[in-house]
Amino acid sequence: MEKHFLADMMEGEGKPSFKAEPWYNPHGDCIVFKMVNEAFVAERVDELLTVYNSAVDGRAIGFQIKGVQAIIRKFGVDGSAILSEADAHGVKSISVAMLLLAAYEEGPQTMGRRKAYAWAMCQADKTISTDELQAA
Amino acid sequence: MATDFACKTIDPSNPTGPKVDAIFPGDYTLRLYKYSPVDYENLRAAKYVLEHTERILFGVREFNQGGWCYTGRPAEWQVKEGVVAPFPDNVIFAVYLNPNMRVYECRPEYAADDDPRCPKDWQTRYRGLIWKSTS
Repeated sequence: MEKHFLADMMEGEGKPSFKAEPWYNPHGDCIVFKMVNEAFVAERVDELLTVYNSAVDGRAIGFQIKGVQAIIRKFGVDGSAILSEADAHGVKSISVAMLLLAAYEEGPQTMGRRKAYAWAMCQADKTISTDELQAA
Repeated sequence: MATDFACKTIDPSNPTGPKVDAIFPGDYTLRLYKYSPVDYENLRAAKYVLEHTERILFGVREFNQGGWCYTGRPAEWQVKEGVVAPFPDNVIFAVYLNPNMRVYECRPEYAADDDPRCPKDWQTRYRGLIWKSTS
């Protein structure tokens, strides 16, 4: 295969190793979670949730939550014990499942949305550090 | 530390004018390189789409005003590590850029029935189609 156009830039960055954990993309203000190292086709559930279906066999292998800063603004995460874990120094991390729940409450309660959000929540027993949640 | 990568593409504000830079942010591409190798490989498809765009849609997000979606069809993509396959007929590759022309997402999506070069539900998801290729 032809040399990757970014290959020179990645020199010295070490060997790639797939990591199945949610991460915050500040350029898109979204949280991305992929469970396997496969290509996917994105299936939009609504304005806030997109499910990733495997290009290999069509099973759901991840999801994306959009508009994270707006969700946090709306739910006032600094003072909220619902979305966050805090200590004496303030909010340390945000629960991905709770972000999903907040996103779910934004839209109509249809069966399709309920199924998609329920699936995503089952995969998302994770937190994101607030240090990571800085918009670009 | 990976640096930004610029790639020439159609200016969405002036599609018939000179091409402009679309930026792949270094932190974004590095994240894919280190932790999501298949998605990193498929940045090749994203670059191809920016260079061989078939549709440009605008008004992408409800919460983040503005932004662009460029679509196209690469000939192939990597479906899992070491396995390259033809790009499926019912899918379109979408590259999302914020109003500063920085790429923030590259992803295949199911294609619309009425225009297979647009993502499904494009009429309601975006504010409009601003450019389409004539070839």
